[in-house]
Amino acid sequence: MLVKDVMNSPVLTVEAGASLEEAYRIMLEHNIRHIPVTAEGRLVGMITDRDIRLATSPLSAKGARSTQTPVGEAMSQPVITGHPLDPVEEAARTMRERKIGALPILEGERIVGIVTGIDLLDALLRLTGVSKPSGRLEVTLPDKPGELAQLCAELARRNINIHSLLSYPLDATQVNSVVRVSTLEVRKLAQELRHQGFSVRWPPEMPGKGL
Amino acid sequence: MSVPVVYTPHYLDYNFGPQHPFSPLRLVMLLELLEHLGHPPRPTEPSPATREEVRTVHLESFVRRVEAASRGEVSPGFEHYGLGTADTPIFPGMDEAARWLVGGTLSAARMVAQGQAREVLQLGGGLHHAQRDLAAGFCVYNDLSVAIRYLTHQGLRVAYVDIDVHHGDGVQWIHYDEAEVLTFSIHESGRYLYPGTGHIHEIGKAQGTGRKLNLPLEPFTEDGSYLEVLQMSLEPALRWFRPDVMVIQCGADAHYQDPLAEILLSTRAYAKIFHLLRQYVAEFAQGRAIYTLGGGYSLDATTRVWALLYLLLQGLPLPERLPETWLRRWGLQLGRELTPTLHDPPSPYPEIPRRAEIEQRNRQVAERLLEAVRPYWK
Repeated sequence: MLVKDVMNSPVLTVEAGASLEEAYRIMLEHNIRHIPVTAEGRLVGMITDRDIRLATSPLSAKGARSTQTPVGEAMSQPVITGHPLDPVEEAARTMRERKIGALPILEGERIVGIVTGIDLLDALLRLTGVSKPSGRLEVTLPDKPGELAQLCAELARRNINIHSLLSYPLDATQVNSVVRVSTLEVRKLAQELRHQGFSVRWPPEMPGKGL
Repeated sequence: MSVPVVYTPHYLDYNFGPQHPFSPLRLVMLLELLEHLGHPPRPTEPSPATREEVRTVHLESFVRRVEAASRGEVSPGFEHYGLGTADTPIFPGMDEAARWLVGGTLSAARMVAQGQAREVLQLGGGLHHAQRDLAAGFCVYNDLSVAIRYLTHQGLRVAYVDIDVHHGDGVQWIHYDEAEVLTFSIHESGRYLYPGTGHIHEIGKAQGTGRKLNLPLEPFTEDGSYLEVLQMSLEPALRWFRPDVMVIQCGADAHYQDPLAEILLSTRAYAKIFHLLRQYVAEFAQGRAIYTLGGGYSLDATTRVWALLYLLLQGLPLPERLPETWLRRWGLQLGRELTPTLHDPPSPYPEIPRRAEIEQRNRQVAERLLEAVRPYWK
């Protein structure tokens, strides 16, 4: 999954010379929290609803400023940016490490998109979520070659399609695989996999239901 | 006054094979049981839905694939449409078999819309997982949505109520942005059960916002809690929405014997649910409703739950014991002993240690659900 698959475009921008009031109005109108700030067509900063509220608040260290203050005086800079062909996990890491809520995406000097924290949640949902009717299967596998292949072979043997698959390290020796499978009979599948020696974490074992 | 029944033996052609849980045996056993009880249905025979009727809901690309698969053609693209999968295998004639079921539900809708009957029982159908362009979870065509679309085209406002243990996702998504359709599905939580959706925050979109309701239940929910939260949430929704007609999917797989899910309803709870729904139909929907069947994968329980539905709708007395000849014949055929009474035996399963916690969580979910949709009820 690349940044271009999750980013929003086109992007609304605001001129550095525009007032805080105007920037805030754009945010309310479009239900957004971050706007890239431009000067002469170039990206020069980012302004967020939080920047505006703080700048105009009496709680601000410098005291409340007028809502007519130019955006350029309240924006954050320099701007951290990404590229549309960056892997989405790299964008996520940048945002996490720099603790920012949005990442403008540039191609050369041109702003082509923006990625926010919400878009990253969407990305997570695409990786794990229910985009098609399916059941949730979670299997803990030994961290060595061929283990996941064996699980997949079992699914293939039953003609069960995989809608999404996410695998991540659980500890030093095991990985956890979360699979969305296209079957109504996940419980039966889990039971059969347990009998074959797989360590099925989900659906949890429920005693007393005859299968 | 008795409730007309829609049925044709063509429903038995909707058959995915002997190993598949969605078995036509359920219907055969049910009809034989009703006959042995001395109350055989005298059904109205529907005609199969036409291609055009199916197309009021399903996309051309999908219908074309179903037809091709039905003719025995092979195409690698079928899986993309949910055909030829573990859940919905392809069988010859599946297009026609599915259209018979759609035709039945549609006939029931016509009878109600045209004033020939107030309530109609369709002894089949309830294929709530099928989507516009996707067969899923044993469902090829969505008979419920075709009927609902017909009803809304007649200018009627429809409340769809789904008590199948699985989320009624197909119906929900097909009508997700429609103001004239309220959907309400009570089911085992998608965290544990197929199809994974049916969260309280799926409340519809655009004009449909606040009109799609989902009540996901904890596994091992029992009679008391189920009835409590069903009333808590469904009654205010219907009182507000005031449908012209209700379409009710009566899946029987929330029964404690069902092998595919973990809700623990007894037949006594089902009797209360059916009473309650009829009461709502009378009070909020001008007495108009269509009842369909649905899921239900314990032959023993499903037959008894649907016999109960039939007998209650016809106002017939409920027998205590089931006829010996029927019990013997099917006991022999299935190679296992069947419950000899219409109702379940008392305390049929061990006590659930987490009962209080389950009740509490279900109550909380029902409250959250109402909080999520109420702001849109204006």
